[in-house]
Amino acid sequence: MDDNYFGSYFRRRIIFVIIIGFFAISITQLFNMQILEQPSYSEKSDENSVKPIYQTAPRGVFFDRNHKVLVGNKPSFTLRITPSTYDKKLTPYIEAILGSSPGYINRILKQNESYSKFIPRRIAKDVSFKVIAWYEENASKLPGVDYIMETQRDYSFGIIGAHMFGYTKEIPMETYLHRKNEYDIGDDIGFGGIEKTYEDYLRGEKGIKYMLVDAKQKTIGRYKNGEEDQATVKGDDLILTIDKDAQSVAEEAFKDKRGAVVAIEPSTGEIIAFLSSPQYDLQDFAKVTTNEVWRELNNNPDKPMFNRASMSTFAPGSTFKMISAIAALEEGIIDTNYKVTCNGGFQFGDRFFKCLHVHGTVNVQTSIEKSCNTFYYNLVNKIGLDTWSKYAKKFGFGSKSRIDIPEEAAGIVPSTDYYNKVYGKNGWTKGFVISLGIGQGELNVTPLQLAQYAALFANSGKSARPHFLKGYTDTRINQYVEVKPQTYDIGISKKSFDIVRRAMYLVVNGAGTATNIRSDELQISGKTGTAQNPHGKEHSLFIGFAPFNNPKIAIAVLVENAGFGSTIAAPIARDVIKAFLIKGDKKENKSLAANTSTQEEQIAH
Amino acid sequence: MHINYKLQDRFDLAIFIPMIVLVIFGLLAIYSSTYNHPTASGNFQKQLIFTVVAVIAFFITFSLPQQIFKSFAIPVFFMSLFFLLAVLVVGKTIYGAKSWFGVGGFGFQPSELAKLGTILMLAYWLTYKSRDINNLLDIGVALAIGFVPIMLIMLEPDMGTSIVFAIITISLIFWSGISLFGLFVVLSPSVVVFASLFGVYAFIAALLLIVAALFFFKRDLFNSVTVFIINLSAGFFFDYAFKILKPHQQKRIASFLDPSADPLGSGYNALQAKVAIGSGGFFGKGFLHGNQTQLRFIPEQWTDFIYCVIGEEFGFLGSVLVITLFLIIFLRLFKLSATAKDKFSVLIIIGVLTLLFSHFAINIGMNLGITPVIGLPLPFLSYGGSSLLINMVMLGIVMNIYRNRKLHT
Repeated sequence: MDDNYFGSYFRRRIIFVIIIGFFAISITQLFNMQILEQPSYSEKSDENSVKPIYQTAPRGVFFDRNHKVLVGNKPSFTLRITPSTYDKKLTPYIEAILGSSPGYINRILKQNESYSKFIPRRIAKDVSFKVIAWYEENASKLPGVDYIMETQRDYSFGIIGAHMFGYTKEIPMETYLHRKNEYDIGDDIGFGGIEKTYEDYLRGEKGIKYMLVDAKQKTIGRYKNGEEDQATVKGDDLILTIDKDAQSVAEEAFKDKRGAVVAIEPSTGEIIAFLSSPQYDLQDFAKVTTNEVWRELNNNPDKPMFNRASMSTFAPGSTFKMISAIAALEEGIIDTNYKVTCNGGFQFGDRFFKCLHVHGTVNVQTSIEKSCNTFYYNLVNKIGLDTWSKYAKKFGFGSKSRIDIPEEAAGIVPSTDYYNKVYGKNGWTKGFVISLGIGQGELNVTPLQLAQYAALFANSGKSARPHFLKGYTDTRINQYVEVKPQTYDIGISKKSFDIVRRAMYLVVNGAGTATNIRSDELQISGKTGTAQNPHGKEHSLFIGFAPFNNPKIAIAVLVENAGFGSTIAAPIARDVIKAFLIKGDKKENKSLAANTSTQEEQIAH
Repeated sequence: MHINYKLQDRFDLAIFIPMIVLVIFGLLAIYSSTYNHPTASGNFQKQLIFTVVAVIAFFITFSLPQQIFKSFAIPVFFMSLFFLLAVLVVGKTIYGAKSWFGVGGFGFQPSELAKLGTILMLAYWLTYKSRDINNLLDIGVALAIGFVPIMLIMLEPDMGTSIVFAIITISLIFWSGISLFGLFVVLSPSVVVFASLFGVYAFIAALLLIVAALFFFKRDLFNSVTVFIINLSAGFFFDYAFKILKPHQQKRIASFLDPSADPLGSGYNALQAKVAIGSGGFFGKGFLHGNQTQLRFIPEQWTDFIYCVIGEEFGFLGSVLVITLFLIIFLRLFKLSATAKDKFSVLIIIGVLTLLFSHFAINIGMNLGITPVIGLPLPFLSYGGSSLLINMVMLGIVMNIYRNRKLHT
């Protein structure tokens, strides 16, 4: 063996130095940590035996405009499992006591697999006292299982309002990663609707209780007698613009129907009622939501999760005739003397556009009152697509109203540019424009937009951004903070509005299409509509406002697949208006009656 | 004393006694960190069974005829490659890595067998007379022997064990008398790879250093360009490999580069480990009285973080004692490598030394917060049967070499 080549002095030295060097570094580090820095590490270790227990704050409550509770809170027990210490053999027993189907716990644990296994998972919310009593008796045999007291949403106040309220759910991983400083894993966060928009008001501040634990994790007392504890701060209560009576009547009327109701106070933009039907049960989300519940809701052919009131879009039918009327009056294309003879339709090139009746001689007011199509086929042609489009947009169509819930669609108002883009420069004809005159064709609006449109007629072009929040109580300073409406004026002359408003009054109170809801007490004005539906029977529509002279409420009602507007949608609108205007208070009734008498005088002039 | 002398002549107590004491320390720490634990409370009994099996295997290895190990090299190596391949297909996934065969309640880790196989194979191959370790081709083959199991283990993925294999391979090539240039060829790619972790500029700086070194060695253009290309591609290959790493592994590397980035992830374990050891003080908090350990602040403490149980409950005294026992074994192995008669035996001893030392250094370094958190067990102490068995068998082989050191072949 060649000693020079093999295991030479140099190589041996390197290995030796590495071994001794590492040994020296380790001993130095141990000396540093265990002797020199021991006090600071000891303190950290003692802190570890003080266990912070976080307490979730109750969310803010929802009140209606008259301070009646809409959504409240109730105390409830939540059963939790911490996977790191949980014994899977316990699953059948827990499932049996919870009365849930076999495999339930496994599914929940699977859903939350991506979280650290040292974080407890909520297995069942709102569990009965029986379950808690069973747990207390057997706690020592149930490692990794515990329960906490939490407040939970209480929806037992008589109305549902699923789509406007939204729900709360455990924070999803992606959201959590963005908002780590504000939330912990397992915290609830608002999902959709008002719960989401006003999450920062509603959530409040967590409280912390410091407990002393021994080496076996057993609680041995409060840390410093609770001096360092932080109390929870309840979330801000919201005063909503909703009128509970009106909302309740709307929900009752839609029990067996699909569609939407949106009612707005014209001068302030305050939303009085907001309904999308069918609804879903918010109570389902207050429990631990399994993927099955989701799948069922998402696969339901009636689409209960879909917010029809502000997301569904459709052609508004005859309710849109007032756009052409206003545009033509404003642009000086017609005046009240302008007349058209209706022979049951309108010939345009080689196409005949039908009217429902032979109306004879029609002026702008009778065209709205009787809903004559022939008049509008003519008129929109005269106005021209882009002018018409400009006026539709002035009334808020084709763009979002910036309502204070996240779910909202903008809809479509066609223009020359739009058709050129969709069909190419020569791919469309003037015939496309003709049907827009009666609100058919490639026009898409939402019930919310129609309600705001009605509000603009009610208040002659002045309104405010539609919204749900009237004010809130700031729990930190214990003060009520009012939210100011954002008003605007669409800049159309009162003269034009007066002509069209008068026509809308006649729809209900003259010889119009909705005389079936005539009421001297309510003085409703409005317009019926029938929205063509490519997938089935036509949708029934009514928009309106009341009382005529000093409107307090504007409304849009959509009933899917119900046919003609006046028979189904208009009576629902009347009932909601009535519920809002006529309260139990008799004085208000009188003043309303006084109001209506002066109104009639005015109309007579 | 006469009998003792005779015993020491055939049986090296300087290795055996520290090894047994370390195993006992390990059993105590495993007991402390798992008793009353809801899922791991059976681990102490299991480890006790492993220990009995491992001690028997140690004595069997010790008493085998020495020549037999050379003939084991090829079969053990290829058998372990086969198992490494098979485990990727049928293995059990534990903590995100497919590195186990499950048989009943017990598991077997083929990468442990591969450690033995690779050391035997490298020693066998490097012992051939015709080898010139400074020939690029021969370096290449030696690297390949190490590289194949490294690749398979990286696929599991088990980064820690791959690193150990790399260290063993390089050490054995180093010990076979490689020249400075050869060592440079072998080591420079890992410098480039490490630099590339710190971004493009560090990567370019490392490449410039390589170029400067190539000028210093004054080799011909072909060799220099080849070495440079190897380095360049190593950097790019690693960049690609980093992207295919599992998120928890990327996180581990990131948490090493910036420990404050992820306080609740792998950084959390490292921090809790330091708190446990630091709070132990000089005498420790006493057996079963460490609140970090007993409150289970450190997940899976009985595997990679077993040393903080010692640190917390037995304090500075216990911690230094454990490190000293390791030092005795290492220095003893180091000394034996000089007295062994043939190159094969020397390389085996160096291989075992490197293997145990790299495990020890990476694990202790991680526990003391001086190296990144890389999941590697502490030899003889951490819970785990395969690792204990193979470590004891390897010391058995070394003791066998010691027993036969005076025989001439």
